[in-house]
Amino acid sequence: MSEELRVAVDRRPAGAVLYTKGYINNVGGEEIANRAYELMDDGVRTLLLNLRETKIVNSIGISILIEIIEKMMDKGGKIAFCCLTPVIHKTFQIMGLANYASIYNDESEAAKELGL
Amino acid sequence: MTQTAGRQMELTLPMVADIEIAAARAAGNLARELGMSSEKIDEMTHAIIEACINAREHSGCADNRMYLRFTGTSLADGSPRIDVWITDHGKGFDQSEARLRRKQLGAAHKRGWGLQIIEAHMDEVEITSGVQGTTIHMVKVEKKSGETGETTS
Repeated sequence: MSEELRVAVDRRPAGAVLYTKGYINNVGGEEIANRAYELMDDGVRTLLLNLRETKIVNSIGISILIEIIEKMMDKGGKIAFCCLTPVIHKTFQIMGLANYASIYNDESEAAKELGL
Repeated sequence: MTQTAGRQMELTLPMVADIEIAAARAAGNLARELGMSSEKIDEMTHAIIEACINAREHSGCADNRMYLRFTGTSLADGSPRIDVWITDHGKGFDQSEARLRRKQLGAAHKRGWGLQIIEAHMDEVEITSGVQGTTIHMVKVEKKSGETGETTS
């Protein structure tokens, strides 16, 4: 029943893009957090999470994403999301994540707005 | 409303990591057979995932099992309807207390959103909980016109 999440990182001059593939549950959320914190420790202050290949999330995974947002905000940075399915977008709104992170329809629009 | 004869599925699942995916896939397959749209199926499966996680994490049941029943029916106008029952034989919980746990950014504890997510994604939600355990009954209907029913609790 493994639904292991994979995370790929694309470092860019002004920040980074994280690409997720799979289920964002507690384990997947921690995997994203580990990558995000490594990037923050390396000075990254603009982070875009592209969820194009993630179709399922749960509330535990999203709570970890909120913790990542808080840590980035504490450092004066920003996190944004793109390519969400409608139900993931709706779930982000229910949990309030959409109030603290920008959400874009596609990566090119996000990269342009974020200067990535 | 008149309904056609339905399809039914019953599952008994162990409370192990990611078992919620098996439950969600089973319900999704049933809904697809009835012609429900992928967006409505996604909403339903996310609600099922949260309900299974609640049972696994909070029920405190001794048998370490959850019991699921799905029925799929077509309403008189052809609209697909899925009913989902998820039961655990745990200690039950206080619904009013659980509903008060609205979390905000900056709060020390961010968990406990399951019920809100379930109610937002389903058309009807009814919970029966006591010392014998908890059953959550959820309904997803896709009206032919594209409208959905009111979310209730």
